[in-house]
Amino acid sequence: MEKVIIVRYSEIHLKGKNRGYFERVFGINMEKSLKGLKHEIHRQSGRYLIEGFEEADEDTILEKLFKVFGIHSLSVALKVRSDIDEIFNAAKEVCSNSGTFKVETHRADKTFPLNSMEISSEIGGRLLSVNGNIKVDVHNPQFIINIDVRENGTTLVFNKFFKGAGGMPVGTSGRGLLLISGGIDSPVAGHMIAKRGMSVDCIHFHSYPYTNLQARDKVIELAKVLSQYTCGTRLSIVSVTHIQEEIHKKCNGEYMVTILRRFMMRIAERIALNTGAQALITGESLGQVASQTIEGMTSSNSVIEKLPVLRPLCGFDKDEIIERSRAMGAYEISIQPYEDCCTVFLPKHPVIKPALGEVEVEETKLDVEGLISEALNTLEVIRL
Amino acid sequence: MIYLDNAATSKPDEECLKRAEKFLYEAYYNPSALYAEGYNIQIELREARKNILALLTSGSNYDLIFTSCGTEADNQAIFGAGRRGNVVTTLGEHSAVFSAVNELKRRGIEVRFADLNGDGSVNVESLLRLIDDKTSLVSVIHVGNETGAVNDIAKISAAVKAKNPYVCFHSDGVQAFGKIPFKLTKNIDLYSVSAHKIGGIKGVGALIKRKNLIISPHIYGGGQEHGERSGTENVFGIKDFEYAAVKRYSAIGKCFDSVRRLNDLLWDRLDKVNFKRISPENNSPYILTVGVDGLRGETILHEADDNGVIIGTGSACASNEKKRYSRVILACGISETTADGILRFSFSPENTEKEIEFTAETLNKIVGKRKKLMA
Repeated sequence: MEKVIIVRYSEIHLKGKNRGYFERVFGINMEKSLKGLKHEIHRQSGRYLIEGFEEADEDTILEKLFKVFGIHSLSVALKVRSDIDEIFNAAKEVCSNSGTFKVETHRADKTFPLNSMEISSEIGGRLLSVNGNIKVDVHNPQFIINIDVRENGTTLVFNKFFKGAGGMPVGTSGRGLLLISGGIDSPVAGHMIAKRGMSVDCIHFHSYPYTNLQARDKVIELAKVLSQYTCGTRLSIVSVTHIQEEIHKKCNGEYMVTILRRFMMRIAERIALNTGAQALITGESLGQVASQTIEGMTSSNSVIEKLPVLRPLCGFDKDEIIERSRAMGAYEISIQPYEDCCTVFLPKHPVIKPALGEVEVEETKLDVEGLISEALNTLEVIRL
Repeated sequence: MIYLDNAATSKPDEECLKRAEKFLYEAYYNPSALYAEGYNIQIELREARKNILALLTSGSNYDLIFTSCGTEADNQAIFGAGRRGNVVTTLGEHSAVFSAVNELKRRGIEVRFADLNGDGSVNVESLLRLIDDKTSLVSVIHVGNETGAVNDIAKISAAVKAKNPYVCFHSDGVQAFGKIPFKLTKNIDLYSVSAHKIGGIKGVGALIKRKNLIISPHIYGGGQEHGERSGTENVFGIKDFEYAAVKRYSAIGKCFDSVRRLNDLLWDRLDKVNFKRISPENNSPYILTVGVDGLRGETILHEADDNGVIIGTGSACASNEKKRYSRVILACGISETTADGILRFSFSPENTEKEIEFTAETLNKIVGKRKKLMA
């Protein structure tokens, strides 16, 4: 009797001719996620089996698999020879001490002497005979014992389904570059897009010495959390200190954030194009702060020349975003009180609905190209 | 690198570390053990206790409880002595006292805060007004860690006891011990000190306690430190503390004068157009706190660091607007504009005039440039 983990995948079964490609990427992602832990991954029709792991690693493996996109559900099962006595022994192991139950059998191996109904009834009957505290209830059982008789002469017995992360295998929907700030929203945006199969790299803008090293470390920690879902990430860090000083010196202070965001988008697009990313991702949520109005988005979007900008949080309320942030494990890091560059030189009354024309006029006071290349010279890359 | 954040921590004295090293490698026995080797360590601890106490007291009226840090000593004093009625303290306390009394408040003890004078010292009238016959504990910081203001705790404790002789008087002496020539007077019941501010290592502190005063322990266990602070003693750290403290006290007057000269020199060289003095004139010479209007202290700190000068800000900067400014600085009546740009220089006797001149020059340059930029 061996413990195994059954991994069932999400939407891959919907794919036609590309299914092999999706399955391959999915397998590679699982391997990456379980790197360093003893295990074997075996593909079976419509599922994977994780086998040969140390019993002490079971929770760690599950925890890591919960972060792999493309997984529909997981079960920890006992694997036995397809023999009714062995199946019964395994069923006894997974059966609760009391309560109502039923046995559900799936028989892929049609050569097994009993059919599904007969297996369920045989095992259910034997369980009842050894435990007087359990009762059968086929309509509303408190637990179900699942028996899966496979074609290869083995049977899997389990009693729980854990919900997986869902979505598509990361890497099957191209690559995006996430503008990550250190707040709550951007890691959630990256997580949501990664869920649809996109590999996510990150770019962070800092304003040292106006912001501190702790703020930078916080972003690295957030990118690390995200990288657990994205099978690694490449974090680019760029200083916008001089850009902010120049805006402060030469432009109307009310446009600080609007103009700064345009610079960030320009720099991000250049880095994205250089690194093969096909989209920019931001954590903007419509109307959440002064710079996230539709006019603000129009203004920052208008400097983007080639790439789409994905804003998955646009329709979310803050509490919905917080809920997702908690679920992905980023919230506690995001709320550490270190300022990001957006709060430096923050005007008392930022312009809420910037008119594109006026922003462009303000920007003519700056050497945009010079400032961008100067900022790009500060680029530092961390692979996580 | 020029290090001017000695109030945060000081460079461990190498000579003392070397002397104490044998308690790591050779005499590593548990001081509570019954065999001779263990007992010998107990004697070493007794020696350390006696020698440190001798620096602050002339008689034998005090005991010393070794702790893991100054904060633990403060906590033991607050939670051990503030168990009934009300507790009176000041708005200028270090967080070790401030957070501890707030926890007392949460547990149902009334806590009263005395106002500060503009120079950061406690307003004694305000303090005395708060004391009544239900007051169980009064805690007044000896030297303010943010401004360097010195409270005359001998006088203050006498006035407190005159109002209520049953009060337990505690003072956080972490920024005074080894720096300000001073002896404990009879009205001071509890006094907290720390090793790493005077050339010792981090992880060692002590609560000095008037003999026969009973306070409850903060940590329970094997009954070390006469049952007042359980846990196997950090023998190496304690011996290092002893050596560093004795060494520091052997030249305390000379150091006081030389550091005063450095403090005055720095203030003299800083550009008065950009820097406002926050520390009072008669402050601890080991601390000089200044404010820069319209700039963030942290920004200047980073740039100074990049230019080879390490200083402190004296303010716990947080993105939360309410926590952005230091509560102590605001309690001195200083405006938020200045409170945002607080810088704290804290000296060691090892600093040189050359270092101070370079620091002043660097700071003048940085602040001048930033001011121009922000204009």
